Amino acid sequence: MHELSLALEVCRLAEVHLAEAPATSLRNVAVEVGDDANVEVENFRFCLEALLSAPPFGAARPTILRCAGPTLRIAYLEVDDGRPDH
Amino acid sequence: MAVRIIEVRERVMARNDELAAGVRERLHGAGIPAFNLVSSPGAGKTALLERTLDALGDELGISIVTGDVQTQNDADRLARRTERLVQAVVTGGACHLDARQVDTALDALDLAATGLLFIENVGNLVCPASWDLGEEAKIVLFSVTEGEDKPLKYPKMFREARYAVFTKIDLLPHVPFDLERGRRCALEVNPTLQLFETSALTGEGLEEWFAFLRRAVHPAPVPG
Repeated sequence: MHELSLALEVCRLAEVHLAEAPATSLRNVAVEVGDDANVEVENFRFCLEALLSAPPFGAARPTILRCAGPTLRIAYLEVDDGRPDH
Repeated sequence: MAVRIIEVRERVMARNDELAAGVRERLHGAGIPAFNLVSSPGAGKTALLERTLDALGDELGISIVTGDVQTQNDADRLARRTERLVQAVVTGGACHLDARQVDTALDALDLAATGLLFIENVGNLVCPASWDLGEEAKIVLFSVTEGEDKPLKYPKMFREARYAVFTKIDLLPHVPFDLERGRRCALEVNPTLQLFETSALTGEGLEEWFAFLRRAVHPAPVPG
């Protein structure tokens, strides 16, 4: 159940970082989740998928990176800055 | 389109931990020890607090913040035992209290007249283990109507706690609970746990609990 709280905090942090970057849309949020992080991974993924597919994100996806220990942190955001490829 | 990566490397709990540090500093500055009571639902947190308020509420200046998913029932029960405000936090579905809620709840309390703070968390042995509320220590309650292996099933909570209180020990003659095995399971998960054995119904074991709380509020001076 607390996975929803954690997912909401991931989204809040993503919004903070997106506001600081000239990015137009979020494509992917990668989150490192340790084996001892007290997180049920599939539940967490489900919550993230639901939140990231809604405004203000639109169609972003989560990537869960499993690791050892109690780690629970956002690793990176993958964004599309709207500029054409070179 | 140009896809690029923004490195973040930021802990998900960072904001809560920052707020918890603020709560801890605030309480420390006011000289108030704070205990976060955690347990499964129905383990007897509110009953233990009722007896504690009856015995020590005025003597130690006990203030309480309660957390429940719905209703203020626990806060209402406790408010009948004290003249002080019992601050209720209704989480509206969330399975734990967080530091922001506690920080806000403290605004409503008279901290200058508080000598000891209890935070009665939402009944849940999983989620509250992950949230630092700025407390001095977590105290996990463990009812003898539960299985003796509860600490093995929920190790994070028992590892995070500094104290464990067996509750409802008046029921021991009537339930198949092996107290010695319960102690072993708790200490297997956390060998430094300090254990208490209590009955809020008969009062058994409460004097030791009260003595512990008195020491928390009035620690013995360091010799020298």
